[in-house]
Amino acid sequence: MTVLAKFLRSVNDILTTLLLWTYFLFGYIIFFSPFYILNTFFSKNQERSFQALNHFFYKGFFLWARFLIPRLKIKIQDNVRTIRSSVIVCNHLSYLDPILLISIFKKQRTIVKSIFFNVPIFGNVLTISGYIPSDASGDLSSILIDSMDTMKEFIASGGNLFVFPEGTRSRDGSLGEFSKGAFRIARHCKASIKVLQIKDTNQLFQPGRFFFHTLDKIRIEVNLIGTIEPDYKSTDSSVTSLMRQVRTIFEN
Amino acid sequence: MERKEIEKHILRIFHDEFEIENPENDIDLREAYGFDSIDAIELLAEIEVFLGFELTLDEKKQAMEISTLGQIYDYVENLSNSRD
Repeated sequence: MTVLAKFLRSVNDILTTLLLWTYFLFGYIIFFSPFYILNTFFSKNQERSFQALNHFFYKGFFLWARFLIPRLKIKIQDNVRTIRSSVIVCNHLSYLDPILLISIFKKQRTIVKSIFFNVPIFGNVLTISGYIPSDASGDLSSILIDSMDTMKEFIASGGNLFVFPEGTRSRDGSLGEFSKGAFRIARHCKASIKVLQIKDTNQLFQPGRFFFHTLDKIRIEVNLIGTIEPDYKSTDSSVTSLMRQVRTIFEN
Repeated sequence: MERKEIEKHILRIFHDEFEIENPENDIDLREAYGFDSIDAIELLAEIEVFLGFELTLDEKKQAMEISTLGQIYDYVENLSNSRD
């Protein structure tokens, strides 16, 4: 590749990234914040309204991304879109993964790093949305307790809890150690476990790189690769066993 | 409720629900077994079943600061006495 071509690629990456970040900032402030504010005061079910707003906001982000990056394709399996009342566990490749899943599921909860709950406004949105802090001490403990107290009802009413059990992004695509939180919650709620595999979000937004990769052909996929319907009365539904079953699904 | 009864039941919960065998009384459960906040919530649900009443938010928040098995015994004993 010539120096000029490299330069032009970089310029395109930078401009596209700026336009995407513009959506994040101004899209949020101009188009979505009025709805968040209205729902704060007038919604009968704030949590559900906030989750729906998060869903539409991130859906808008991916529509915008596909418009700006014509060679980007996003393929979501039909049987992924119809998942309800489940604990979803998923591999983790990029910061885009959580927002991609929010853009797929309108009624969603997830586990978020505790530090984000302390960010002004954003932390409030996370709390009202019913999201769970990854670790709860001090003030965050009441958020965790509230969220867990209503988790069974949330899942029974069709909501999905999605979790990245590795906790951190995989740099080389290999599967890391699992945290047991998702499996503990699945047991607590006696929920089905759906195993999703995300592909190539790290091609669009690579870990350690600030700019989106905008000129190559990228095909992001989200596939349902397994379902576990545990018999929670049997010994085979221990957290360790559930973790082992999910790992086997990923490795096969 | 007798302290011994509480200890026996809590140990059974640790065995059945958390796959932790006979933890020492003063060991930090998080460091030794990765016992985290979500585990603590699950334990509280089991304690509610054991005691036969629901805990208040303040009682639950208090539990989130607990780190050893000995503290759990004290906590459950206090709860039991508070409702007698």
